[in-house]
Amino acid sequence: MKKAQTMDKKVKDIIKKYYGDKTAMIAILQDVQEEFRYLPKETLSFISKKMDVPLTRIYEIATFYNAFSLKPRGKHTIEVCLGTACHVQGASRLIDRLERDLSISSGDTTKDKMFTLEEVRCLGCCSLAPVIRISGNVHPYLTQDELPKILRNYK
Amino acid sequence: MEMVNITINGQKISAPAGITILKAAQQAGIDIPTLCNHPALSPTGACRVCVVEVEGQRTLITACTFPITDGLVIQTESPQVVKARKFILDMLFSERNHFCMYCQMSGDCELQNLGYRYGIDHWVFPTYTKGFPVDATRKYFLMEHNRCVLCGRCERACGTLVANHTLGLRNRGAKSMIHADANLTFGDSSCVSCGTCLQVCPTGALCDKRSAFMGRDEQTQHVKTTCSHCSVGCAMEIVTRGGNVMKILGDWDGAVNGGVLCQHGRFDPLYDERTRITSPLIRQKGKLVPANWDEALQVVAKRLGKADAKSIGVLASSNVTNEALYLLDKLFSKEMKVANVGLLNRAAPRLFEKPQGSLADIEKSDVILVVGADPVKDQPVASFLVKRTVDRGGRLIVVDGEDNGLAPFAYMHLPMADTGKAVEIAGRANNPVILYGTGAPEKTVNALKKLQGKAAFVALEQGTNTRAAVAFGFANGFKPSAVKTLFLLLGEQDGIGVEALEGIGKGAFIVVQASFASPLTEQADVVLPMAIWSERSGSLTNTEGRVQKVSKAVEPEGEAKADWEIISLLAEKMDKKLGASLEELSARATQNIK
Repeated sequence: MKKAQTMDKKVKDIIKKYYGDKTAMIAILQDVQEEFRYLPKETLSFISKKMDVPLTRIYEIATFYNAFSLKPRGKHTIEVCLGTACHVQGASRLIDRLERDLSISSGDTTKDKMFTLEEVRCLGCCSLAPVIRISGNVHPYLTQDELPKILRNYK
Repeated sequence: MEMVNITINGQKISAPAGITILKAAQQAGIDIPTLCNHPALSPTGACRVCVVEVEGQRTLITACTFPITDGLVIQTESPQVVKARKFILDMLFSERNHFCMYCQMSGDCELQNLGYRYGIDHWVFPTYTKGFPVDATRKYFLMEHNRCVLCGRCERACGTLVANHTLGLRNRGAKSMIHADANLTFGDSSCVSCGTCLQVCPTGALCDKRSAFMGRDEQTQHVKTTCSHCSVGCAMEIVTRGGNVMKILGDWDGAVNGGVLCQHGRFDPLYDERTRITSPLIRQKGKLVPANWDEALQVVAKRLGKADAKSIGVLASSNVTNEALYLLDKLFSKEMKVANVGLLNRAAPRLFEKPQGSLADIEKSDVILVVGADPVKDQPVASFLVKRTVDRGGRLIVVDGEDNGLAPFAYMHLPMADTGKAVEIAGRANNPVILYGTGAPEKTVNALKKLQGKAAFVALEQGTNTRAAVAFGFANGFKPSAVKTLFLLLGEQDGIGVEALEGIGKGAFIVVQASFASPLTEQADVVLPMAIWSERSGSLTNTEGRVQKVSKAVEPEGEAKADWEIISLLAEKMDKKLGASLEELSARATQNIK
């Protein structure tokens, strides 16, 4: 109960920050996502009620953009680049190894809520291929044997 | 309005500035194919089927969204346009499953018609092999995602016409899907089963469970009539084939509803499982036995002829035509001087002599006051009008109990005691509308009168034809104690049990005119079988006082007769001349209502 209340409070503050403006919906959802690392369903209904926007409309926005997630996300997001350069350099092996080590498939989150594994297209640093990004930190020139050590640093 | 001159396919046309190319073309009788566009919905330009060539424009543009300006030169079927349309259709057909021969809409499908028109005879692109789910969790109709073309008509109908916002389009690109309420099944969602989405769907994606595979549109007859479920009086079309009612459609030209119907109007009448009474019944030796009309009417006429006017009682349901109420009033009250007449449902208090507003005022208002009425439950289409207005920024104030269906949409929800406050707020608005019902006590009603001249007043009556029944004096309080002979015009009304006979002496002679067998007809001495909504012609008066025609679509079951016809025959048996033809009766009845 208490948890739900603090959740509502946080969302209320976020809505207030944008003066409850319906056109700021994406910004509000971004802030909520930053706060909870994903968009919990209860918060969507709460925003819908508070801002007089139909829940279906909010759901449309939340599912349209890749940036939003409706599933709980890990503390760290591992983004494995599968762009052309990284692909040629064997990025698919990195993702295979990560899937095996974390025992999740791409797009999912580990049980301990530490890591979320994601495939992305190009990170824009093809000279560093194959590259992965964990919570914004870029790890260049990787081989799969280096992965366990890197992950340990984030735990 | 400013007129501009445009040229479509070499034909010079003058049309009002600002209307879309599509509308201008339609006015000139030029056909531009459409798919996502629907006359009752706002255009979105989603499907691109209506693309046309406009001189000076960089690309092809959608006719359904492009406003016309002076001097436009438009080509609607140029080779470039046709090529683009074919390409669009090829892509639409390759997405999901459009194997027409398995679909109930084959023959009436707008996508299929376009396919024929542009000669789409094979798949240019590889089709999906992955199946999508079918959602059949709703009682009346199902969603077959495999046939959906994502035109968004259903979503717009749900959002703008019904203001229910159940349907939406989730994800994007190839993953787009119609969904309900943040991905619930339709059965669990906030869907009110009004079926508006079903009616606007251009393909077979939304499929009526009852009328599917029962015939193409050209094999059916459409009869325009008025819904007799509640007092709103929605215009609708009964679709029949071979003397059977297949489905009910909203009439887009409807004065009150504009094409929208509710679950009770569109589906419930077709799922009525009560047993029909198919022949007149007379009680003989304690049992009801079938008889012919002549015998049954003779028994009733004889009994009524002998009885003292003071011992006769008349109870009427409001779910009967104006003509029946007129004849009932004429025969009993005027000819036989029976004073003890009553109505089976309560009527809303009469505030003013003349009507002070109509349902159309709801959408023009900025503050809506709902007092002692629950349109969500009793007059759903009126609640859609209210919700639509709330969507546009109108403020809704509900003065009623906690369980009022409109409460979740209300800006303010007050108990009956605070009517004064609500009246004060409404008094400050520019165009307030007051919707009041039977739940409002006298004190509240008097408080509302302060807004006379300022606000529009609409009574939301219970029952169907309550307004006409009140005009004929049926709502004057029925006293059961003195009744020895009762004429009960029950009609097809549901939910009325033997408690209607409470207070009436045991030996009373009871005549029931009803469509369905019920505990009440079991108590009767004579039962006169009555035709139901689809089997009678006549007229109904809605809650605003608008008289609307109802038309017979199918023949009555068994020996049942229209409500007014039975009373007319009874009068004849009693040697009273009350008028003959339906037109004559309608005209006289209407005169009395106004």
